[in-house]
Amino acid sequence: MKKHFYLLVAFLGLGVGMSHAQIQKGSLLIKNATVLTVTKGNLESSDVLVQNGVITQIGKNLSAPAGVSAIDATGKYLMPGIIDAHSHVGLDVVNEASAPITAEIRMKDVVNPTEIGIYRALAGGVTVSHAMHGSANVVGGQNATLKHRWGTEDPADIIMHDAPRTIKFALGENPTRVHGRGNGIQPRSRMGVEAVIRNGFNEALQYKKAWEKYNLAKTQKGNTLTPPAYSERLQTLADILDGKIIIHCHSYRADEIYMLINVIKDFNIKKVVFQHTNEGFKVAPEIAEYTMGASVFADWWAYKMEVYYSTAYNAAILQKNGAITSINSDSAELIRHLYHEAAKTQRYGGLTDEEALAMITINPAKQLGIEDKVGSIEVGKQADLVIFEGHPLSSYAVPQMTFVDGVKYFDRKADKDDQRLSVAATEMVEPIFLRANEEAHRCMQDVDKYFEAFQGAFFVNEKH
Amino acid sequence: MLGLLVAGWLNQSAWAQSDPTGKRRVTSTYAITNATVFKAPGDPGSKATILIKDGVILGVGSSLTLPKDAKVIAGDSLFVYPGFIDGAGTMGISKPKDVERPKDFVSSTPPDEVAGITPWRMATDSYSGASTLVDDWRKAGFTLSQVIPDGGMLPGKTALVLLGEPKTNNFLKANAAIAANFRSSRGMYPATLAGVMAKFRDIYQNTALVIEHERLFASNSGVKRPQASPTQTAFMPVVQKQLPVLFTAGSELEIRRAIALQKELGFKLILTGLEDYASVIDVIKSSGTPVLIKLQVPDDKSIKSQKADGVTEATKAQYARVKESYDNALKQAAQLEKAGILFGFSTTDAKAADVQKTLKAMISNGLSEKAALAALTTNPATILGVSSMAGTLEKGKLANLVLTTDTLFKEETQIKHVIADGYVFDYEIKKKSVKAEATPAKSEAAPNGVQVEGVWEYTSETPAGSSGGEITLKRENGVLAGNITFDDPSGSGKASAPIKNASLTGKTLSFEFDVAAGGMSLTVTISGEINGKNMEGALSVPQMGSFPVKATLSSPSQAN
Amino acid sequence: MKRILKSFCAALLALLPVVAVAQIDGEFVKPRTGKFLLENATVVTVTKGTLKNTSVLLENGKISQVGTTLSSEGAEVIDCTGMFIYPGIIDGGTRLGLVEVSSVPETVDYADVGNVTPNMQALTTVNPNSEAIGVTRVSGVTTVLTVPSGGLFPGTAALINLNGYTPDQMYGGFKAVAMTFPSSGRRGRFDRRSDEDIKKDGEKAMKEANDIWENAKSYLELKKSGAELTYYPEMEQLSKVITGELSLLIEVNSASDILNAIKWVEGKNIKVIFTGVAEGWRVSEQIAKAKIPVVTGPIQELPTRGSDRYDTPYANAGMLAKAGVKVALRTDEEENVRNLPFHAAFAAAYGLGKEEALKAVTINPAEIFGVADQYGSVEAGKRANLIVSTGDPFETRSQILHVFIDGYRIPMSNRHIRLYQEFLERSPGLKTN
Repeated sequence: MKKHFYLLVAFLGLGVGMSHAQIQKGSLLIKNATVLTVTKGNLESSDVLVQNGVITQIGKNLSAPAGVSAIDATGKYLMPGIIDAHSHVGLDVVNEASAPITAEIRMKDVVNPTEIGIYRALAGGVTVSHAMHGSANVVGGQNATLKHRWGTEDPADIIMHDAPRTIKFALGENPTRVHGRGNGIQPRSRMGVEAVIRNGFNEALQYKKAWEKYNLAKTQKGNTLTPPAYSERLQTLADILDGKIIIHCHSYRADEIYMLINVIKDFNIKKVVFQHTNEGFKVAPEIAEYTMGASVFADWWAYKMEVYYSTAYNAAILQKNGAITSINSDSAELIRHLYHEAAKTQRYGGLTDEEALAMITINPAKQLGIEDKVGSIEVGKQADLVIFEGHPLSSYAVPQMTFVDGVKYFDRKADKDDQRLSVAATEMVEPIFLRANEEAHRCMQDVDKYFEAFQGAFFVNEKH
Repeated sequence: MLGLLVAGWLNQSAWAQSDPTGKRRVTSTYAITNATVFKAPGDPGSKATILIKDGVILGVGSSLTLPKDAKVIAGDSLFVYPGFIDGAGTMGISKPKDVERPKDFVSSTPPDEVAGITPWRMATDSYSGASTLVDDWRKAGFTLSQVIPDGGMLPGKTALVLLGEPKTNNFLKANAAIAANFRSSRGMYPATLAGVMAKFRDIYQNTALVIEHERLFASNSGVKRPQASPTQTAFMPVVQKQLPVLFTAGSELEIRRAIALQKELGFKLILTGLEDYASVIDVIKSSGTPVLIKLQVPDDKSIKSQKADGVTEATKAQYARVKESYDNALKQAAQLEKAGILFGFSTTDAKAADVQKTLKAMISNGLSEKAALAALTTNPATILGVSSMAGTLEKGKLANLVLTTDTLFKEETQIKHVIADGYVFDYEIKKKSVKAEATPAKSEAAPNGVQVEGVWEYTSETPAGSSGGEITLKRENGVLAGNITFDDPSGSGKASAPIKNASLTGKTLSFEFDVAAGGMSLTVTISGEINGKNMEGALSVPQMGSFPVKATLSSPSQAN
Repeated sequence: MKRILKSFCAALLALLPVVAVAQIDGEFVKPRTGKFLLENATVVTVTKGTLKNTSVLLENGKISQVGTTLSSEGAEVIDCTGMFIYPGIIDGGTRLGLVEVSSVPETVDYADVGNVTPNMQALTTVNPNSEAIGVTRVSGVTTVLTVPSGGLFPGTAALINLNGYTPDQMYGGFKAVAMTFPSSGRRGRFDRRSDEDIKKDGEKAMKEANDIWENAKSYLELKKSGAELTYYPEMEQLSKVITGELSLLIEVNSASDILNAIKWVEGKNIKVIFTGVAEGWRVSEQIAKAKIPVVTGPIQELPTRGSDRYDTPYANAGMLAKAGVKVALRTDEEENVRNLPFHAAFAAAYGLGKEEALKAVTINPAEIFGVADQYGSVEAGKRANLIVSTGDPFETRSQILHVFIDGYRIPMSNRHIRLYQEFLERSPGLKTN
């Protein structure tokens, strides 16, 4: 059996560059690193063996099976691939901002695996990102969990097909501005936001009932009941009520967070993660008790009224109150240094190394429902790994190599500078993007195109 | 609108009418005699006569009996190909009127019409064969086109039109496919690509349900009556797989997304407008989708503007990437051929004047001439479901032909006639420099001491009388140039014009110059043989003919 | 008195995170000036090396002594054993105090109507009570240049210390006229102008700028010759740049624009500082040759081009310094200026080096702004802007324990900290009925 196993391993170990359509899985041995497992403590001078994309062994003095190359990580740190629970990188569309509920929208439809932001995220150690619908709508579209397998042209190659379904909700200033103040459609106030959500869920219950009734009747002889209209929008809301989809809710103010917690209690929904949630700290006990936690910024505040009364200690307070807490970027710029953002919880709140690292690994994995697959260095998990020069929580840390499923996708020393996958045949002058705020912060992208005329101040200064 | 077509219709009745414009053709029977005929792609070509009547090919062969009413087109120096077929285009299509927004308009639930969802609209309602675009494409050899109505994500039903006489009913098929694309609506749902895809699914699913509802209603009593919306009614043939969806998808991601929808829902799919598709050839192949690629290659402005000196290494690297991308774009068609994918061309967004240039670019980058011709003829015929009627030159098929001065895809080949729906269209042949060796404007010193530089005095005999002037010729940097004076057509004195495309081959001198007359610009050609100080030849004016010209070298220049 | 304070400091140390000093229910701790002795720290002077077991005496708003055996006579003693003293950190470019909530236009005061408004003053507009000021200074950033932005000449920037109740109390002794150099780049992903149009627009903007400059020159000439000119505040302010009385901050980022700007200032004999300089690394030799100092940042920013190496913005400052350019760093931020130390760490890690990075946020900006006699290092005679930390202030692990600005001991509190204190353990907590 053992011999068989090694032969199999040897055979598999050879294969890294495979056919276009298949997902690449690699094998390698990382030697002599300080391994930060996140869930099972830190291991000095240890090795991690990866075979066919899976971590198969962690220990000291491991030997590489035939055909498996070794990487000397002496003096370096190895941590799990970083997971960003709020991103818009790799999406051609962010906001279908034309209706307050657009649950039928699928971000998987608009994934673009050639966006350079994916490589730049890899260069910051991020291996998984939650590619989300924007925050223009109360109920946005269904998100896509992506694995950063850079270099492919096929969107299917970077979508994490076995990740659970998630959907974007948004409360507060963004939907009320887009729909109420911008277009005369509910909601215009936070009262309206709650009404829209409750209306949506109730309509979904009715929809569900109508279809159940029809499906039962159509098998009966002499049935005269006709099919109700099909609505993927309402069907998706019904799926949320049936616990099939995790709600990720963009929110800021404590009162609206509390409002949603009451709504989900009324509808018996358990799977909710609050996003941004700058005032989450004011209702930390409730978030801890009733939800799958919060995914927050390290220190962004004051760009809107609803984040004016924030604190950089938000993550620390949530963590100490027992809420699953993660740190996200919501930005193509910030995603490149999430390890640094997590480290800020040590300045603002004195969190331990383990607590801080968990915020960008196992905690977001839990919030995305993929904690059995990624988020820590444990035998059996997918080999999403990052090698750091310097401890990741040091401001001077520099990521060196990033692996997804055991395949190296980022190598600081070996990668060529120009990583663009394709270049336009007619490009005369390469575009230069200067301090392009609209490039980095995309939560409200596509909304400006949607409005023919809007206040200049809103557009220019808007971040989220 | 339909009314317009009726107004201009030629009476098709058997008995002829008087035509005071004198433009109506005298017969509908033509015989192209003794031409080199290429019946289908791959045909090496053979001398034959083609007989057509009333828009149908009556025969192709070497010993046909020609009826007495057949007008003969002497094909001795001509080459005949099946008329080109445009797989999908917008020639002749006018933009529909903007739909007025209703008073109770809500942007999150707009009426289908306002949101660009109008699958019931017919291309035939907005098509006019009299448009200049139709003329341009016909001139490029096209005889049949599938025209797509203008609009939003589901603009309407396409039609197959013959590019024949505009005043006749040119519709071969009024309802060929349902057009679809990823265009979103401005300021209302669906406002983005993601919305369009969701809406497409929604329309499909609900149409399927309405069909089910109608079936139930028809078979049972006591059932609530179905109320299919115009969108659903128009979409039913798609769900029932009777009508294909013609999806416009230019980029690789768009192609993937259209094919993904097809896989998910199961409708018949034709892709059109492909521009960047090299990386999805395997996806297209495995899905079995026929494609219509854009009849255009990327313009080379950026390649041409790349500087050779004074640029940094970084810029050089950028140039290399752009050039690589450009080269790869030209190779794509060849890759389709290699993969064995059924493909034709789409004229949407392409320029008729660039057709030959585009085809030559594709051919010099690997596309075989046979495949190029197939993409112009038999392939689109198959894709459009009209291969029994068009695509080859065979007895019984539609009389759609292209008559050229040389084999297709050669540098000097020009189109002399296009016959569409049995109507003959003639085109002017430009005389280019006669021999291939005489590279005009770049030859070195005059061969054999033939004196050409200097001032020539010339006279020309035209029906209007004798006219003349001076021709001044000089060689600069190996290029023969100069100018000519002539009697000003507007009346008094002499006008002057620079000489273009001058060349000297052996003893024959030829050049062109432009004359402005009556608001138009005519290109006049002079060609003559030089003997010592005398030149004798012809002066030709387009659409007027040739006239004898004589010239004497009055002041030879010293340099020679 | 001193002993109580000494043990309190010890308790403070043990009580990570930072809590306000001597917090009594209801009492508000104010900034206090006086005589302070910071005892027995590792003093990172920046200009005179790192001194171990050294003390610093502050009085009358100044650093009066730096040494090993200083008398604590009449001074409040703060035991800084095991801690580090750094000069107050300087941010070379922000909009701090000029905006409160950026999505609320009523609170946005750094841009006005008109392309040429150099006479508009950032200093008087600064809101000394902006919430962001309290949030910023506890991170160790004590001094910032706050800069108007918008049109060609959007206004006059000012150097401010982050303490004081009026702009005059905050003023740090340096003003400069800001200029946004006409750009020839694409503005962003939504800029769909053709390449030719961009070139044309750039040329037009450059001509406009030159015309305005000529106008200012004429104004100055006529004034010098004694003419009594009608009120023209814009030209009046620009003429101060021409005479050299005020420096000119030129915001310029793309490589070709930087080269154009270098050409533009040639022969003008004015005091120039380039700001932004995102693509400075591409033309670092030319900038060094022209001897123009640079304030660059934000360091944590996306590359300007799709083809750029991913870490170009991190490495930019280092490459400029290597070519011999004098580099200061900025965040170009409004409410997160507190992150400057971290930006500096990134610049250090990607090529600038720790020592140069520290200089780039202390003595370099001080020198570039002509206030190096007052700020930028821990030296006797300079103003008392300094910070006491548990370690390298660029590291997130370190805590900033004390901040002194202009000799005032700053309360280590702000709304973020107060909210932390209130909500870490909320009372009532989770009340489930």
